[in-house]
Amino acid sequence: MSVHDFWTPFALEPFINALIIGLSLASIWLVAALGLTIIYGTMGVINMAHGEFIMLGAYITWILQYFLGFPWLLCLPISFVVVGFIGWLVERGLIRHLYERPLDTLLATWGVSLVFIQSIRLIFGGEPQYIDTPEWLKSVIEIGFVYIPSIRIFIFGLALGLVGLTWLLLYKSNFGVQVRAVMQNREMAASFGINSSKVYGLTFAYGAGLAGISGAMFSGLKTIFPDMGLGYVVEAFLVVVTGGGELFGSLATAGIMGEMFSIFSYFTNDTFARFVLFVLIVIFLRFRPQGIFTPSMARR
Amino acid sequence: MLLELKDVTSFYGKTPILQNIDVGVEDGHCLAVLGRNGVGKTTLVRTIMGLTTRMTGEMHIAGEEVTNSQTHERSAAGVGYIPQGRGILPKFTVKENILLGTFARADNQRSIPDMCLELFPYLAENLDKRAGTLSGGQQQQLAIARALATDPKILLLDEPTEGIQPNIVQEIEATILRLNKEVGLTLVLTEQHIRVARELSHAFVIMDNGRIAERGVIGELTDEIVDKYLTL
Repeated sequence: MSVHDFWTPFALEPFINALIIGLSLASIWLVAALGLTIIYGTMGVINMAHGEFIMLGAYITWILQYFLGFPWLLCLPISFVVVGFIGWLVERGLIRHLYERPLDTLLATWGVSLVFIQSIRLIFGGEPQYIDTPEWLKSVIEIGFVYIPSIRIFIFGLALGLVGLTWLLLYKSNFGVQVRAVMQNREMAASFGINSSKVYGLTFAYGAGLAGISGAMFSGLKTIFPDMGLGYVVEAFLVVVTGGGELFGSLATAGIMGEMFSIFSYFTNDTFARFVLFVLIVIFLRFRPQGIFTPSMARR
Repeated sequence: MLLELKDVTSFYGKTPILQNIDVGVEDGHCLAVLGRNGVGKTTLVRTIMGLTTRMTGEMHIAGEEVTNSQTHERSAAGVGYIPQGRGILPKFTVKENILLGTFARADNQRSIPDMCLELFPYLAENLDKRAGTLSGGQQQQLAIARALATDPKILLLDEPTEGIQPNIVQEIEATILRLNKEVGLTLVLTEQHIRVARELSHAFVIMDNGRIAERGVIGELTDEIVDKYLTL
């Protein structure tokens, strides 16, 4: 292999296309990481079943469409609600008994993920499934030399919408005050009338719901299969850890990671770009283990 | 009795920390909980709030049985808690910290009660300041304001004058006295300073090794008892 096979020289038009692909990737990683950010950032729980909540969202979309003929757009909010409810059940039945034991939470949520994967495989089989999206989302928008599939613009917009919604919920609502109070000091929050157990349950449900809606979104982009969660959860975890478990940390990190990946893979290739990105993250975390914006070393 | 504990034993994990506690506070009175370090004063207050692992026995707040109630239900039953170390949420502003108290209100009102601002002009002028940047005395004022925002019947004050500059101690003391005498709040006060306890309280209990060793009206707190249980 010569150097020229490995290294693509700079050219403006394809480079700008690459930047736009970067934005699209960033929005996908952001959506995948959002629920995880909320659950890790507020509850300190590392939810190993996050990828499987994404997978469940995709399967719920497929079930609604394949068996009941629901249009794809309607499946998005339903996936949010259904996976949110499943998340709530998982929190009530399992995780709330383990808050004092973080390592056990890790193991237990991993167990939950295996149960989900195998149940789906048993019920629906392991073969990939496909979703039909509306016609207007199948088109490609052309601006000069830039080509963007409209579904990617849709996902980008929805990602920003979900971040906005989450921000409103966390920083502008009464529920958000309760969540942030429990986050800082659970005993104090309880001492002032906040039912911290209920807050944890609803927070986990909301995080799971976000995973569900992201799975529904991804179903319009890629195939659906029982192990699909793995394909999203690695980047999601990197976004959350690098972002310090904070909403705006995740937003910034997803943007930076998406663009860096896309630029590296423009000059080289996907595999090498992934390698460089992961190495850079490891180096970054070596010097700022608390994440991108978090000011102090205070960690849970 | 506005607050009553009957034969209460309280546990951290499986270990009983307090045993067979009988305490009551009359409506409008102030009860001083005295004792040396580590005898269980803070645990008694935490037991009332439901912050220990579990308790047995029987407990009533304002006539309501709360023996098996969770912490948030006890606060809603009318207990305002001013913890040792003050328990201010450092990332919240002064305003948010006070509003935190309103979640325990029965009327669901989400505004700062006028009394808080009137009692603590400094807080009124610095509502948007981060609570973590306040001094110890200011944080104590904030902790009291937050407890008042719950619209309480009883205030639990756990060593309110501990670690506070001497000139501010007078101020906090005056505030506590006013809350009891003018506002008519019932108080449970843990104290190391006998002088403060004598000035503020109607009754006292002395704790020793997780049990109540002595009790009485404040006039019965003789120097002899002080020497026996409280002098280092």
